[in-house]
Amino acid sequence: MIHVSLIIVLLLAGSASAGPLDLAGYDKAFTCSACHGFAGNSKGDTVPILAGMSPAYLRKALQDYASGRRPSTEMEPYARMTIHLGVDDVARYFAAQTREPTPGNVEPAAAARGRAAAAPCALCHGSDGKGDAAKGIPDLRGQAAGYLYNQMLLFKVDRRSPGDAALAPLKVLMKDIPDETLADLAAYFASQRER
Amino acid sequence: MAMSRWTRRSFLHAMGTGAAAGLLGACAGAMKGDVAPKSGRRVVVVGGGWGGATAAKYMRLQDPTVEVVLIEPNRNFVSCPFSNLVLSGIRRLDSLTFDYDGLRRHGVKVRHELATALDPPARRVRLAEGYLEYDRVVVSPGIEFQWDLVEGLPEAQDRVFHAWKAGLQTAQLARQLQAMDDGGVFVLAVPPAAYRCPPGPYERVCQVAWYLKTWKPRSKLIVLDANPNILSKAALFRAAWQAYPNIEYRASSNVVKVDPSGRDVTTEVGERVKYDVVNLIPPQRAGTIAVQSELVGAARRWCEVNHLTYESVRQPGVHVIGDSTTGLPVPKSGNVANAMGKICASAVVALLNGKEPPLMAPGNTCYSWVNDREAIAVVNVYKVDNGKVVQIEQKLTPTQSEGVAQNSLGWARSIWSDVLG
Repeated sequence: MIHVSLIIVLLLAGSASAGPLDLAGYDKAFTCSACHGFAGNSKGDTVPILAGMSPAYLRKALQDYASGRRPSTEMEPYARMTIHLGVDDVARYFAAQTREPTPGNVEPAAAARGRAAAAPCALCHGSDGKGDAAKGIPDLRGQAAGYLYNQMLLFKVDRRSPGDAALAPLKVLMKDIPDETLADLAAYFASQRER
Repeated sequence: MAMSRWTRRSFLHAMGTGAAAGLLGACAGAMKGDVAPKSGRRVVVVGGGWGGATAAKYMRLQDPTVEVVLIEPNRNFVSCPFSNLVLSGIRRLDSLTFDYDGLRRHGVKVRHELATALDPPARRVRLAEGYLEYDRVVVSPGIEFQWDLVEGLPEAQDRVFHAWKAGLQTAQLARQLQAMDDGGVFVLAVPPAAYRCPPGPYERVCQVAWYLKTWKPRSKLIVLDANPNILSKAALFRAAWQAYPNIEYRASSNVVKVDPSGRDVTTEVGERVKYDVVNLIPPQRAGTIAVQSELVGAARRWCEVNHLTYESVRQPGVHVIGDSTTGLPVPKSGNVANAMGKICASAVVALLNGKEPPLMAPGNTCYSWVNDREAIAVVNVYKVDNGKVVQIEQKLTPTQSEGVAQNSLGWARSIWSDVLG
């Protein structure tokens, strides 16, 4: 079972690295690859992978960046530009791309500590971090570790989407977790792979 | 080929009647002829930098039935972004050096030679030995320096470095800086706008100043800027320079002469400044082939293009992208060249297939490292309005920070793989 899925994933990765080029969002997403990588597979540690992201999640993220609810100098103007171009097309384009896990090095000891601390996260994100797209809970597997860590810090001090009721329980959870443990959790989820 | 149709009799006849010259001429023409006859549709890309390499790759992705030939003299791609950090010792040049195998894996035919000229009426690109035919050509030749605008510079190129095309000169300038005595004077000359990478010289000032402050604390850095003020992220750079009392910045000081034996430069107003090491960044224009092929305007410096397809306004069928273009309200940056490469690729493929080109504008993110750990950034986003690219907005980071520096590393890794991978 696992072997078949792995082969399918590898085949898809090989053939879909260009993505469905006829999608309307392909052209509109051109400027994104400079930071987020070709077909949304970011090669950096603090820039998130967009390939395979739930379109509803990405749409909300862009809306929050455009309004400043999520703080980012770089993303604020790009989010507004994307909304101007057509955010649904762009979100559908990235959702259709195959995610390549972050190429960043994850320290095995940190990932092991993170796994041991991840029980509270599993309540919403699942034990492997797969999340639940229908509920707006993102898939953390293979995501850039530095990006995950930065977002957790923003949750902890309520600088990400302050006042967003859906995020309130998450922020309460984060408040009591030491920063070093958050870094370990980021390493753990970054090292998780789709099965 | 022609020879096979000659009989022995007609050959001897030709030898006797003086048509030999014509025969020899035909042979010489064959040697200087089509180096790779094309069978289907072909796009030739001149220049394998940020624009050309991107365009070549993306055209292959969008229509694998189109043959793409990339002509680039250098066997390796060396990134100008981050090369300022080689001067300060924070980065190594080999970490910024990449080969073209990724493009070859996409089916781009990479030829490491020089394209010497375009022949647009014949739709040919001339090489040193022969030519290549094309259906469309994308020219991304980068910049060339206007050597004759600085007296003494053409003959001093072995000692006075620009390091404004990353590679050998970056290493040579770094060695000069390392060899300078503590207490020595480093002079950095910034050319008048427009030039490649508006914030680049000021990031270099930060890196050299940080290096001197750390390793040669009695040294000074004199900046002779031809422009009336810092051209990009001015307030952020001024704030960063607070940490470097060794910087002396002089605006409106255009360097017009260099004397390597006397070790001084002279400005337009006749002010002479002595140096121990000089980094003279000369005034710039479009790459030579753009000038030779009449792609430039009346001032013979930059190429005007269609804002949607990057087709030259002067030569139909010739597209120009990257630093050598003018008219779009965008800076001359690698990020912009990469964006232009993708949009141009889409446009060329659309035109070859009888379809409408997309209506897309580039975007720009520009990071500058102000010391060994922190960076600043500016973002410019654009849209297409009535067939022209116009700016929507610009945003600057509020301060310098390690977070911005981390983001710049992500940008670099992602964009290098977007260009070359």
